[in-house]
Amino acid sequence: MLEIMAYGFMQRALLASVLIGILCSVIGVFVVLKGLSFIGAGTAHAAFAGVALAFLLDLNPMGMAVLFGLMTVWITGLLVEKGRMKLDVSIGIFYTSTMALAILFIGFMKVYNAELYGYLFGSILSVTPSDLTVIAGLGLVVLVALFLFYKELQFIAFDQEMAEASGIPARTLFFLLISLIALTIVVSLKAVGAVLVYAMLLIPAATAYQLTRSMKGMMIVSILFGVLSSVAGMFLSFVMDIPSGAAIVLLATALFFLSVLFSPKRRKPLRPAKAQEP
Amino acid sequence: MSKPIIQFSKASFGFPGRIALDEITLEIMEGEFVGIIGPNGSGKTTLLRALLGLIPPISGQVHIFDCACEKLRCHHRARIGYLPQKDRVDPDFPVTVFEAVLMGRFSSIGLLRRPSRADDEIVRHALEEVGMAEHAETPLGHLSGGQQQRVFIARALAQQPQVLLLDEPTTGVDMPTQQTILELIKKLHETLRLTILLVTHDINMIVPFVNRLALLKTKLYAAAPPKEVLTKEILSQVYGKQIMVTEKGFVIVGDYHHA
Repeated sequence: MLEIMAYGFMQRALLASVLIGILCSVIGVFVVLKGLSFIGAGTAHAAFAGVALAFLLDLNPMGMAVLFGLMTVWITGLLVEKGRMKLDVSIGIFYTSTMALAILFIGFMKVYNAELYGYLFGSILSVTPSDLTVIAGLGLVVLVALFLFYKELQFIAFDQEMAEASGIPARTLFFLLISLIALTIVVSLKAVGAVLVYAMLLIPAATAYQLTRSMKGMMIVSILFGVLSSVAGMFLSFVMDIPSGAAIVLLATALFFLSVLFSPKRRKPLRPAKAQEP
Repeated sequence: MSKPIIQFSKASFGFPGRIALDEITLEIMEGEFVGIIGPNGSGKTTLLRALLGLIPPISGQVHIFDCACEKLRCHHRARIGYLPQKDRVDPDFPVTVFEAVLMGRFSSIGLLRRPSRADDEIVRHALEEVGMAEHAETPLGHLSGGQQQRVFIARALAQQPQVLLLDEPTTGVDMPTQQTILELIKKLHETLRLTILLVTHDINMIVPFVNRLALLKTKLYAAAPPKEVLTKEILSQVYGKQIMVTEKGFVIVGDYHHA
C-alpha cells in the first residue's frame, strides 16, 4: 500500500487533503458557532460558477473561483446585516440561483469537461503542483488571519453586537471572517467539490461541538476529525475509485454520528425557575 | 459646574410612522445614577442603544463624551460598559466564565495583541466584585440566570468604563438576587464613580439606589429625583389610571403586562 506514496500525485493529494482538512475544520468552528452554514452553501456554488466560467473563457479557474466566491460572500454579508437573510426562502433562492448560474455556464460549453466535474464532486487525486501552491498559499493566508484576529473573531462568534458595543471593529471583522470562509471554500473545491464542500465546513466542527466545552478544545478536536476524514477519504477514493468528495464527507458523517452516540454532553438539568413578575 | 457627560438634544429615533423616541432632551452629569422607567415599548432600550451609536437619530442629536453618538469610534465605545437585555446570548457557547469576562478587555488590548497578565488580573478583580470568582473555570452555560447576569456585569466592568448602561439587569432573576445585583451596582457606583443609566420596569426596587428617575414613554415626561417624579399627577400621564402611590411613596402599577 505504501508504495503508492512514491507517486507525485499521491504525495500532492496527501498534502492537499491535510491542508484542506485543517482549514475546513478551523473555519468550520466559527461557521457552526455563528450559524453561518448557509453562507457556505451559496458561496460554494458561486465559486464553482466561477470555475465554469473560467473554463468557458479559458481563464484561470482558481482566480475566477476566488472572484466569484468573494463577491457572493460580501453580498450575502450585506444581506445578513440588513436582516434580509433570516428567511429560509431567501437562503433557498440564493443557494439555487448560484447553482443555476453554474449550470448555465456549463450549458454554454458544448463539450463535456471532465476536469470541471472534478471541481463539482471533488478529485483530490488530480491536484497539480500549481494547484498545491494555490491551496498552500491561500490556506496560509486564512490560517494567519485567524491566528492574528482569533480573540476578536471569538467575541464576534459569541455576541457580535456586544463586540461592536464594547469598542471592537466588529463589522469589519465579520466581513473578514466571511471572506476567509470564501477562501476556504475555494481552496477546498478540488478536494471535496462544490456540492459537498459546505458539509466539510460543518461536520468536523459539529462533531467537535458534541465532545468539547471550550473553543480551543473545539478547534483541536475539529482539526483531528477533519484531517482524519480528509486523509482517509483520499485513500478510500484511490482504492475504490470513487469521487473523493463523497468518500471524505461520508467518513466525516460517520464520525459525527459516532460522536453524538458517545457525547459526554448530557441534557442540562433544569435551571432554577425564573422569578414570576408581579 | 461640571459639564454633562451625556446629552440628548431634541433627539428622535425610529422610522417615519413608527417613532420609538420623540424629541428627547436630557442631560446627564458625570457620576449620576439615573434610573430609566416606563411601560414596555416605551423606548427605554432604544435610548441605551442610541447612546452606543447602534441607532442613528432621525432628528436632533445625541452626544456622549462630547462626541456625536452615531460617530462613535472604537475608543469611545470602550469607555461605555453595556449590559444588554438577558437571554440574547447563546449560553451553550463553549466559553468559561473567565473567558467571557476577558472579552471585555479586548477593545483595550487592541487588535493583534494578546491578553497580558495585567488583563487577567483585571478580569479576576471584576469577578471578585460580582462574587463569581470561584466560578472562573465554569462553562457559562452551567450557571443560573442570575449568575450569568453577574458574569456579564463583570464583563462590562472589565472594560473599566466611565459609563455603565444596564438594560433590565434584574429581570428574570429571583427576588434575593435582584436585590444583590442592585446593591452591587450601587457599590460600584460609589467606589468607581461611574455614570450609570439603568433601565427597569420595577420602579420600587430602583428608588433607593438612584439620584434621578427618567420617566419615558416615547416622550420624556420627567427627569428628577424620585420624590418629584413619583407623584400621581406625573405618573398618570404615562400609566393612565392604572397607577397608585401610597403614603410611603410605594408605587403600584395595575394591570401590568410584562412582555
